[in-house]
Amino acid sequence: MAILDKFSGLAARYEQLKASGGDPFSIQFDDIISSVEGVVKGKRTLLFGTNNYLGLTFDPLSMERSIDAIRKHGTGTTGSRIANGSYREHEKLERELADFYGREHCMVFSTGYQANLAMISTLVGKDDHLVIDADSHASIYDASRLGHAPVVRFRHNNPEDLAKRLARLKDHPGEKLIVVEGIYSMLGDTAPLKEFVDVKREFGAYLMVDEAHSMGVLGQRGRGLAEREGVEDDVDFVVGTFSKSLASVGGFCVSSVEGFDILRLAARPYMFTASLPPAIIASTLSALETLRNEPQRRAKLRANSRRFYNGLKDAGFTVGPEANPIVAVILNDPGLATMFWKRLVDEGMYLNLALPPATPNSSAFLRSSVSAAHTEEHIDFAIELMTRVGREFGILPEAPDYSNVTPFPRVSAERLSARAATAPARRREADVGAGMA
Amino acid sequence: MTDERVALISEISEVLETVTNKTIELKPGMNIVNDLGLDSIAVMNFCMALEDRFDISIPLHDMASVVTVDDLASTVETLRSNA
Repeated sequence: MAILDKFSGLAARYEQLKASGGDPFSIQFDDIISSVEGVVKGKRTLLFGTNNYLGLTFDPLSMERSIDAIRKHGTGTTGSRIANGSYREHEKLERELADFYGREHCMVFSTGYQANLAMISTLVGKDDHLVIDADSHASIYDASRLGHAPVVRFRHNNPEDLAKRLARLKDHPGEKLIVVEGIYSMLGDTAPLKEFVDVKREFGAYLMVDEAHSMGVLGQRGRGLAEREGVEDDVDFVVGTFSKSLASVGGFCVSSVEGFDILRLAARPYMFTASLPPAIIASTLSALETLRNEPQRRAKLRANSRRFYNGLKDAGFTVGPEANPIVAVILNDPGLATMFWKRLVDEGMYLNLALPPATPNSSAFLRSSVSAAHTEEHIDFAIELMTRVGREFGILPEAPDYSNVTPFPRVSAERLSARAATAPARRREADVGAGMA
Repeated sequence: MTDERVALISEISEVLETVTNKTIELKPGMNIVNDLGLDSIAVMNFCMALEDRFDISIPLHDMASVVTVDDLASTVETLRSNA
């Protein structure tokens, strides 16, 4: 008992959250029906909190190949690649990823978290410096604690601030590694990568970009933010994950830095954990193929993201700075956010609830991720539901009175009936045009 | 305590106020985490603000060994003289 006493404050806060009726940490899906639909408490629920960007979790080809891999090679590798050896498919996956990114080398890891943990904690040693964005993902912070390099933070997405901090380290010996993310996972904002590259060059630092949320999402070929910004040659290391666009689990790092493979014998989170099982490798390879061959999924994802982001913004919600697949509605009151979240789940929409201290300024986010598998009807249902609840909770102003205004042309009749099928709950007239923005 | 140290601690108080938006009078023996009620994120932000005020680099692990306000003042003094 006593050993857990230090968590009494946390336990009290959790009890309070549970008492408020909304417990985002123990929600359970009775069933998952598709990439974007599940069942919660017996109710069919639209999923807006999955990171399933390309909608590939039920891709028939990936599923077939995965099942086939289990039949041929079994359910698990039962050990690490260093102790128990690699399967041919581990190396095939590494070659395919290196090829996709146009890089010399690749290492795969058992999760995206471990990819960051392994790379960051190993690349910089005690005589080097690790320089990270203040709003970095937990895996980057944890990596900074596992490694031995001194850690310096710079203000979120602020190249001038980075330059100032690197200038202070100018006379310190050792290499400097800058770590930023392609798309930040809470607000969906992107890093000003061109400016970061300028700073990196000025100070002769190395640059790592975590493209976990931008792989398959940004860039002509889906390689991420570095591709979109045209600065791939200046990014020394790209890390990413298989558990978002590629719809499985695992992580990777690609690089053309000479001698890269020695990290296999130095990075502890690579060496001392079981390697990816055959089924995961097979479906990941298949999803990567689809990512490369079907750019239309990326186009659909972009269109869906804009539709959802603009719909919520036009409704009057405070949203993040960019229309990316991660769309966050920012609320000042965590209690209200929890009630809002619970209400959405009750009405058949699931998204993520982000609470302090994980959020800045004691705010709370209703954080959604849009998928290429969402239909326009799904998106419009979500906008309409959130708008209605937002008005009811007094977050949005009441619907304006349009009774003396010429109504919208009847072309929206079809859309109306489509909505009626998914959203039988009461609807306000002003919402009719919400999805048309 | 030297006048210099008194002045430094008052300057550190000002920096802390910008981070917490509260008026705080720091005393040398105060415990930064317990007495000031700073969580780990606030400590990191405090650290960043100190770096800017004194134009120094305070690696996060240096903050781990800082317990009292006086420890912090010593750390800042040392880093400043090295700069």
